Amino acid sequence: MIAVIIVSHSEKVAEGVKDIAEQMNNSKIMIRAAGGTENGRIGTNTLKIYETFEEVKNADNILVFVDLGSSIMATEMAMDMLDDEIREKITIVDAPIVEGALGAVIQATVTDNVKNIIETAIESKSLSKLQE
Amino acid sequence: MIDMMVTIKREDGFHARPASELVKIANKYKSNVFIKRNNRTVSAKSILNLMSLAIRCGETIGLIIDGEDEKVVLEEILKIF
Repeated sequence: MIAVIIVSHSEKVAEGVKDIAEQMNNSKIMIRAAGGTENGRIGTNTLKIYETFEEVKNADNILVFVDLGSSIMATEMAMDMLDDEIREKITIVDAPIVEGALGAVIQATVTDNVKNIIETAIESKSLSKLQE
Repeated sequence: MIDMMVTIKREDGFHARPASELVKIANKYKSNVFIKRNNRTVSAKSILNLMSLAIRCGETIGLIIDGEDEKVVLEEILKIF
């Protein structure tokens, strides 16, 4: 089983991306949001991310989608707090937070190949938004 | 091989959700499935390809299905269009 975690400075952004991604879910993918500070302000919270990792630790692979800057730092710090066997399952995916998370979730409904799922998410960077 | 034109009737257009349904169908069967829009033809097995087409409601697109189970695939796809 795959887990997808959305880390954003905004609790609403993380929840919102999760909500969109859930629309594509076949109920086999665990999607979690870890956004904002503990009191709902803009920022990131290492402990919240750590607790989210603990929640999905039984997944075979955990993919993290982050927005900017300290989202990555806070995620890495949370990873450092985990046991090795959980940490090894985690990949911070270098992809846009919305398109990447959606691409990963949809791809995870058609394949179990995690490498392929990650590649799909990364390729979403080159998705052109405007075209005829 | 099935090669036909279909019109998207779904009012939500061909956005991420129906696109994700199409990619699931395309990957479930053996047939190759392609979608043609303007001058572009993409494989329906790739979600990014489908999303990049940005097909809108009311548009007519080309649908090509090729393989032993093409008839079943066509039936499934028409349900989501």
